[in-house]
Amino acid sequence: MVREIEATAGIPVVQIATIVPIMLTVGANRMVPGVAIPHPVGDPAEGPEADKAVRREILERAFKAIQTKITEQTIFKS
Amino acid sequence: MRLELRNVFVKDVQWGEKTEISGGVLRINRDETIAAVSNDQRFVEINLDLAKPGESARIIPVKDVIEPRCKVEGPGDVFPGFMGDPCTVGEGATLVLKGCAIVTCGPIVAFQEGLIDMSGPGSRYNPFSETNNVVLTVVPQEDIEKHAYEEALRIAGLRLAWYLADKCRDAEPNVKKVYEKGSIPEENAKYPELPKIAYFCMSIAQGLLHDTFLYGTDIKHVVPTVIHPNEKMDGAMVSGNCVSACDKNTTYHHLNDPVIMELYSRHGKDLNFLGVIPAPEDTRLSGKERSTSFCANLAKMLGADGVVISEEGYGNPDTDLCMNAKKCEDLGIRTVVISDEAAGTDGKSQGLADATPEMTAFVSTGNVNEMVELPAMKKVIGYPEAISNLSGGAEESLKPDGSLFVELQAIIGSTNELGFSRIGARWI
Repeated sequence: MVREIEATAGIPVVQIATIVPIMLTVGANRMVPGVAIPHPVGDPAEGPEADKAVRREILERAFKAIQTKITEQTIFKS
Repeated sequence: MRLELRNVFVKDVQWGEKTEISGGVLRINRDETIAAVSNDQRFVEINLDLAKPGESARIIPVKDVIEPRCKVEGPGDVFPGFMGDPCTVGEGATLVLKGCAIVTCGPIVAFQEGLIDMSGPGSRYNPFSETNNVVLTVVPQEDIEKHAYEEALRIAGLRLAWYLADKCRDAEPNVKKVYEKGSIPEENAKYPELPKIAYFCMSIAQGLLHDTFLYGTDIKHVVPTVIHPNEKMDGAMVSGNCVSACDKNTTYHHLNDPVIMELYSRHGKDLNFLGVIPAPEDTRLSGKERSTSFCANLAKMLGADGVVISEEGYGNPDTDLCMNAKKCEDLGIRTVVISDEAAGTDGKSQGLADATPEMTAFVSTGNVNEMVELPAMKKVIGYPEAISNLSGGAEESLKPDGSLFVELQAIIGSTNELGFSRIGARWI
């Protein structure tokens, strides 16, 4: 889906997922690593406040990624 | 380490006055047996049923399958950490009720359990249509947490497996098989010219009722370690997995691991079998990196020339599989992997979610998405409505006449990645 949206609609996509090697294999261009498979955009074990902070940080990183010009598959680690 | 498996063949199972085996017939006193596994306050009710090969019977939803075993000589007991103390097992003698299986059954999670058909086309796809099955279903206390329900049913199944074997401990075995292998330096000295082979038994360790236990401990909390193959035959590894049925390793699979049996049969002939490395499949990328780095490094420190890697599950564990293969190959250790494929109902999609060029030797155990039609059975043990919640099933899967149209993955053990099944794939 990530590739198809970029290819046919020309809209840049950021993929947030935990298993970066799979994103690399399927050909995502902008990648933000998630936390864990059951909870990619949060860390509920750390309590509600920390969970929300993790979520915000990941989303803000995704917004930054979507505005960044890239020339190759790029992982946004920070 | 020397272990003798004393196999007592079970040709039939019946209810009887006394729990015992004679002439290949296992008789079970139902009330006494229920009482033996009922010392858990989390159960409101416990039921036992029998399902025999060839019978028009469907068991659904299946949680685990366990072979009845108990130790008759040597330290500890089977299923260490559950039935016995968590002390090293694999030595002495173990009685096995061969041809009998305990099946635990219950709708613990809303999805991802499996079914067993004792006859018809579905029976071809799982080995448990050929065993005389004692099916344990329980009614748990209301409002029980799912993880407590899983744990209670897991332990009750192990206890039932031990109890039936224990009641037959004086039976004369039909076949005795000895599995013996010394320390790694001893075996290296005996077979200096043979290639040294290790075995990574990848196991789901993902929480949310997707867990595997080693000596009673949840392996998501441990880094990979080495065990002697005999330890697995005594129940060192136990399944706590409520996951897609086709390729989860039940406790029965762990006890009868065909990779171990094959490597053992060739030990000292054309290879030197170093040992087994239970390899957790984590939910975090960092956990996958840690686990696979430990596996590859352990293989290197053991002096392995090659590694056989079996996967459990599909999807994200495909990444663990690739990492294990890549990291070993990068260290100069040759690898072969055993995995099934999720290639779509037409079989045309990429089989694995991940890929790596170093993974060049691949044994496929089949396509989990293949559609199969399973006719209605006269007897249903368990909860037939569960089919709509099974992985590989849907609400419309259950037809009004009781037949099912489901993906192969709904059948337990159908694409087992230890190779404990009849299907595979060939290159076309």
